[in-house]
Amino acid sequence: MGGTTRVLDCRGLHKSYGDRKAVDGVGFHIDLGETYGLLGPNGAGKTTTISMVCGLLTRDAGEVTVIGEPIDVGQIHAKRWIGYVPQDLAIYPDLTAEENLAFFGRLYGLTGKKLKARTNAVLEVTGLADRRDDKTEEYSGGMKRRLNIGIGLLHEPRLLILDEPTVGVDPQSRNAILDSVEQLSGEGMAVLYTTHYMEEAERLCDRVGIIDQGQIKAEGTRRELVELVGQRDRVRVVAEGDVDAAAAAARLVDGVEEANRSDGGIDILTNDARVILPSLLRSIADAGASVKGVDVVEPDLEAVFLHLTGKALRD
Amino acid sequence: MRAAFIIAGKDLRQRIRDRSAIIMGIIAPFALAAIFSLLLPTSQSFHTEYGVVDLDRGPVSALLTSQVLPGVVEAGFADLTEIDDRASAAAMVEGGEMGAAFVIPEGFSDAIASGRDATLTIIGNVDAALATQIAEAIATGYAEEVNAVSLSVAAALGGFTTVQPGAIADLSSRAAVFEPSILVEEAEADSKQMSDKTFYSASMAIMFLFFTAQFGILSLLSERRQGTLPRLVAAPVGPWTIVIGKALAGFVLGAVAMTVLIVASTLLLGADWGNPLGVALLALGGVVSATGVSAMAATMAKTEEQASGWNAILAMSLAVLGGTFFSLDRAPEFVSSLSLITPHAWFLRGLDELGSASGTVADALPAVGVLLVIGAATGAVGLMRARRLVVGR
Repeated sequence: MGGTTRVLDCRGLHKSYGDRKAVDGVGFHIDLGETYGLLGPNGAGKTTTISMVCGLLTRDAGEVTVIGEPIDVGQIHAKRWIGYVPQDLAIYPDLTAEENLAFFGRLYGLTGKKLKARTNAVLEVTGLADRRDDKTEEYSGGMKRRLNIGIGLLHEPRLLILDEPTVGVDPQSRNAILDSVEQLSGEGMAVLYTTHYMEEAERLCDRVGIIDQGQIKAEGTRRELVELVGQRDRVRVVAEGDVDAAAAAARLVDGVEEANRSDGGIDILTNDARVILPSLLRSIADAGASVKGVDVVEPDLEAVFLHLTGKALRD
Repeated sequence: MRAAFIIAGKDLRQRIRDRSAIIMGIIAPFALAAIFSLLLPTSQSFHTEYGVVDLDRGPVSALLTSQVLPGVVEAGFADLTEIDDRASAAAMVEGGEMGAAFVIPEGFSDAIASGRDATLTIIGNVDAALATQIAEAIATGYAEEVNAVSLSVAAALGGFTTVQPGAIADLSSRAAVFEPSILVEEAEADSKQMSDKTFYSASMAIMFLFFTAQFGILSLLSERRQGTLPRLVAAPVGPWTIVIGKALAGFVLGAVAMTVLIVASTLLLGADWGNPLGVALLALGGVVSATGVSAMAATMAKTEEQASGWNAILAMSLAVLGGTFFSLDRAPEFVSSLSLITPHAWFLRGLDELGSASGTVADALPAVGVLLVIGAATGAVGLMRARRLVVGR
C-alpha cells in the first residue's frame, strides 16, 4: 500500500503499569477507507492501545503516525486528523447539543460559518436537530450516544476511532451505530474500531487484529484469520437417493477435503464453502442424489480467538 | 492561548448556569458580611460607660479627671459619668450600667505631694472584661506618669490586685507634660482604619474567594468523572492549554466575584475599601493567591468530593487563622505571626495600610507582593499536579 493512503501507522507500542504489561509490542496500520477492528475481551489492552494512538496516554515505547505526522501527548498537530469517540459518554450534560458541538468544534479550529454548517450537518445526521437547544441531560440514552459519535465526526476527521461504542446500547441504537460506521467507511474514512463483540468485528471490519494480554495474536481479514488457524467451513447436505455415490463424487470436487456419509446426508469439510458450493451440488446431483437442503457453517472469529488464546471472547 | 479561552469560556458558562459560583462567590459573602457587620461589631467600635468617683478633688486627681479621661471620651469609645461615692459606683458597675469605675480616694493628692503611697481603685465587672482591661490600662498609664500611685483593680465581685508604685517624682512637672497613654493612642489609630462594614465585607470576600476560585481546577476532576477529559485531551490542544484554561476560569470567577462584592458592599453596606487602585491591586493579589492555593488543594484529591472537602477545610482554617472572623489585634504574638502565612491576613493588612489616615497605594504594595508570591508558589505546584491529571500515565 502506498504511503499516500496510509492513515494510521503504529509500531511497537509498549505500556506497563508496574510489572503488568498492559500493551506489549502492539503494531498495526490502517489505510484510507479501511475499517480495522481490535477484537479482544475486556482487559486485553484495546483501550490502552487506543489511548496511546490518540495521544491521551504517554507510552513507554513505540511510534504512532497519523497522515505521516507523529502523535503523542505533547505532539498535538496530528490530533486534528482524528475523531475520537470514547467508550463512555463524553458530553456535557448541562450544555445543549449545539453548545457541546460548538465547543468541541472550536477546539478543532472550526469558526464562523464553517462551524455553524458542520454543527447543523451533525445535528441532522444524528437526528438531533429538533432537540438542539435542549440540555443533553434531558436526552435519552440513544440520543446521547448519537451525539457522542457526532462530536467525533464534527471536524471531518481522516481517522475515526471508536472505542467499544455499542457497549450498553439498546439493539436499535446499536444497529444505527453500525450502519453509520459502515457508511463512513464507504465514504472513504479510515476507522479504528475496538470491540469484544465478534459479530461487530465480522460485520464492519476489513481487517481484524485479535488482541489479548496486550499483544496482537493475529491479524488479517476474517478469511485470513480463519485459514491461519486451520479452521475450515463445514457443509451439510441433506440428500436422498444414492447418497453413498454422492459422497464419493463430492470427495472428487476440487477444494473438498473430506466428504462423509451421515444420517440423512453428507458432511463435507472445505476451505471455502462459498467457492465450491455450485460444483459440489452439481456433482451430488450427477451422482444420483436429490438435494433436499444445504447448511453451511463457516468458522467465526470466536473460534479463531478460542484457538489462539485458549479462551472465549467473553471469558 | 485561543483554546485556553475557549475552555475557560465553556467552564464559565457552566458555572453561571448552575448558579453555584454566583451563590458562593457573591450572594453568600455579601449576606454574611451584612449580617456580621450588624451583629458582631469589632473592637474598633467598642464603646462603654465609665464612672469616676473623685473624693480627692485635688490637683493630682484633676490630672485624671480633666485630662486623661476626657481624652478617652474624645476618642469616642467611652462616655464618662461622675459619681458621688464608691458604693454607688460599685452598684452601677455590678448592675451593668457601667463598664468600670475609677475611684480616687480622699487625700490622694496630698499623699502624693508628701511622698506617701496613694491608691487608685478600678471597679470592674467580670462580665465586662474588655472595659475593665482598658480602664486598667488607662489607670496604669496614669500611675506610671505620676509615679507614686498604687493601683488597685477591684472586680465588682472579686478581690484586688495591686501594682506597686515607684518613687515619688516631681508631680507638677509631670502633670505639665502628661499625655494620654500609648494604649489610648493605639485605639485612636485603629478607629481610623476599617469600619465594621469594611472589615466584614473584606473578610467575607477573601474567605469566599477560596471557594469561588476552586471551581477552575476542580472542574478537571468533573471532566474526568463525566468522561469528557479524554475527549479534551484528544483534541489538538496541549495539556498545559487545558490546565491554563481551567485556571483562567477560576481566576475570572474570583475576580468578578471580588469586584461585585467590593462595589456592592460599598453601595449597599457603606463599606469604605480605600484607594481604588490600591484595592484593585490587593484584589488582584487575593484572586491570584486564592487561585493558586485552591489549585494546589484540588489537585491533591482524587475525586471532586474529596477536593471540595479539603478545599473547604483549608479555606476555613486559613480564614480563621488569617483573622477574617475577628481582629488579631489582641491575639497572642505567635498567632499574629502565624497568621502571616495566610493570604487572608496579608489581604486585610494591605487594606488596613490603605485605609489608615496616611495610607497610599505604595503602603499596600508589600501585601500585594506577598499575595502574588503565595499565588505563584502554590499555583506552580497546583498547575504541575493538574497537568498530571490531564496526561494519562
